[in-house]
Parts: sequence; structure tokens; C-alpha cells
Amino acid sequence: MRVARASEVTAAEELFSPPLRINIEDDGVPPRPAHASPSLRRNAMKNFPTRPASIALAGALLLAPLSLLSSDLQAQEVIVTSSSSSTSERWLHVRVIDTNHKGETVRVNVPLEMAEKVLPAINKDRLHSGKIQINHNDIEGVDLKALLEAVRSSKDGEYVTVQSNDNDVRVAKQAGYMVVHVTEKGFKSSKSDKSDKSADKSEEKSYERSRVDVKIPMKVVEALLSAGKDELDLVAALRALSAHGGDTELVSVKSDDSTVRVWLDSKNVSD
Amino acid sequence: MMILAKLALGTASTLMIAGVYTFREGTIRVDVDEHREGGAHVHVWAPAAVVPMALHFVPDDKIREVTDHANEWAPLVRIAAKELRKYPNTTFVEVEDGDDHVKVSTVGAKVQVDVTNPQENVHVTVPLAMVEDVIAQIAARQPAS
Repeated sequence: MRVARASEVTAAEELFSPPLRINIEDDGVPPRPAHASPSLRRNAMKNFPTRPASIALAGALLLAPLSLLSSDLQAQEVIVTSSSSSTSERWLHVRVIDTNHKGETVRVNVPLEMAEKVLPAINKDRLHSGKIQINHNDIEGVDLKALLEAVRSSKDGEYVTVQSNDNDVRVAKQAGYMVVHVTEKGFKSSKSDKSDKSADKSEEKSYERSRVDVKIPMKVVEALLSAGKDELDLVAALRALSAHGGDTELVSVKSDDSTVRVWLDSKNVSD
Repeated sequence: MMILAKLALGTASTLMIAGVYTFREGTIRVDVDEHREGGAHVHVWAPAAVVPMALHFVPDDKIREVTDHANEWAPLVRIAAKELRKYPNTTFVEVEDGDDHVKVSTVGAKVQVDVTNPQENVHVTVPLAMVEDVIAQIAARQPAS
């Protein structure tokens, strides 16, 4: 019986059939593998070119569905990562409830990080590269930028207080926030005095028709103003909002027929 | 006999690998159910990889027509798709108006739009990877300016 010498063992055989490799000992008598008879070895050598390929194919067949599974696992991993990172992320929420119609409700939840990246990609009308151009004619001649700049550079205090029959307006700067309160008044007619039957006169009673509360961190105002002349930098403002810690209610509007709320927190769902 | 077995194994493995590749990007799902009598019921469930593949067969002049409009929104869609992947299982927009309900959300690595009202239910699910592939392919086939 002829025994293959080590030199006859090809590199491929070394790769695919390591258990059948036979080393010749110094005395020239090769130790016989306990698990492989010479006939088995011959068969293995004969099938050598196709056997590993078949094994590889069968393996691929077996493992193929795992690749689909792995993509699912990857997705799950992303979910886990997302839920764990949701505590550090800042979300901007908008909720509009319109009681006039069939109780229309709009809820928008936007991660600030995503908004920061998406906004510069919008180039439409006056919005370019995350900056919006402002036209003084659109805001009835009011120089919005000068107004914000004046508020920014001033000390804390109440700047505007208007009390009229129709509206109450208050603009102030306090504790690092720019605060705006606007109350719109309405009037209801009501019978003045039931005991006075002869008079039967009615008087108008004022009530709060709508109320707008805006509370913007001054850092956000500063970031808005960081763009060039006649421009507001929205992306910079979003970054400043992102850096602003804690839950913040930015805008709240309450009226007879609708409620609007814009706020910032670390949850990816609105309440 | 062995040759036949090998052929069968080869064919099966080719089919399996093709299947894995095809479904690698997930599936597009479109469900439309009209609640009126004789209303349409459309349920399409197709591998998302088919769409970028099919784009290869669209003539260049047709692609050019699309890219003329795509230049404006393609960067936005590309960035949005990339960013949305970071927020799986999130509801971004939800509108309820009486019986009408519209929801835009992500489910895993897919974006899902659900519209339900008494007249019809529409559910569309599109893998974000497919959106990115399509945008990339349209951009790649743009004529050099």
C-alpha cells in the first residue's frame, strides 16, 4: 500500500482535509489515522474537488436565511439604541387641537437633530441653507431683527405693556427667556340685574377670548440673530434649542376653538 | 445520480441566494381597501430591491425628465431617509379629524403612511434603504453638467 508523502499533499488538501493529512515519521512508517482507513482516504481524495464546494453550498443554503434574520436583529439593535438614546435627545413637539370641527387634532414630533440636518437641504422661496430671509414689508415695517437685538442686549425687565379694550400685550425678558403674553378680549352681553324688571337692559362683559404665551430662551434668540443682515438663522436656533436643557414650553395658544402647544422635551412621543 | 444531486443543490442555492438578495432591502407594502360596495382591495407586497433594479430599465430620457424635478427635492429626501433610520418605531405626524386618521411613522427601517377613514383604508410601507438607493441611482444617471 502506497502512502502519500507530505510533499504530495497539495495546499488545497491541507486546507480542506486536515484530518486526513499523514506525516511520515523519521522511521518512514506513517502513523495511521485512527479514524480514517486508506480506502476512506482514497475516496475522500477522489471526491476532493467537489466535496468542499458541496459543503460550502450546503452551508450557504443553511446560513442564507440567517442573513435575513441578522438584518432584523440589526433593526432591533437600532431600536434598542434608539430607545436608550431617547433620554438624551431633544424632541420638538407640536400639538394642535381644533374644537371647531370634528375635534381635529394634529400631533407632530420632530427630533431636533434631524431637523438640524434636514432644514439646510430645503431651498425654497426664502429658506436657503437653513436661513430665512426676512422682508420688513411683510411685518408692517417692523425691523424684527433690530427689535430682537434690542431685547437681547437689554437687562431683564418688562419692555412692552399694552392694555386696551381688545388686547393685553406684555413683552418681557426674565431669567434668560424672552416672554411674550398676548390676551385677546371678547365681549358677551349679559342681563345686568334680574330684579330691575323695568330696565331690562343688558351690559357687555369682557372675557378672555384667546391667550398666547411665548417663552423663548435668549440663547435661541441670539442664535437666530447670528445670520447676516435681513436673515434669521433657523439651524443655529435649533442647535441652541437642542443645547437648552430641561423641558420647555415654547408656545401655548388657547382660544375658544383651538389649542396650540409647542414644547421641547426628551420624549419621542407627545403626551 | 450524483450529478443530478449537485445540479439540484446548485439550483437551490442560486435561488436561495437570489431570494436573500432580493429581500435584503425589505419589502414594499401597499394595502388599499375601499369600504364601498364593489370597492377596490389592492394588496401589493413586493421586494424593495426590485425598484432600483427596475430603474435600470427605464430609458435615460425618462430618467432625465424625473431628475429635472428631482434636483430640488432629492437632497432633502436623501438626508431625511438617512436621518429617519435613526428613529425606528416613531410617530412623526398624526392627524385625527373625526373619523379620518392620518399617520406618518417609522416601523423599524421602513417609513409607513396610514390613512384610515370610513371610505377607505390605505397603508403604504416603504423601506428607507430603497428610497436611498433610488435617489442615489437617479443622481448617478444625471447627465454631467
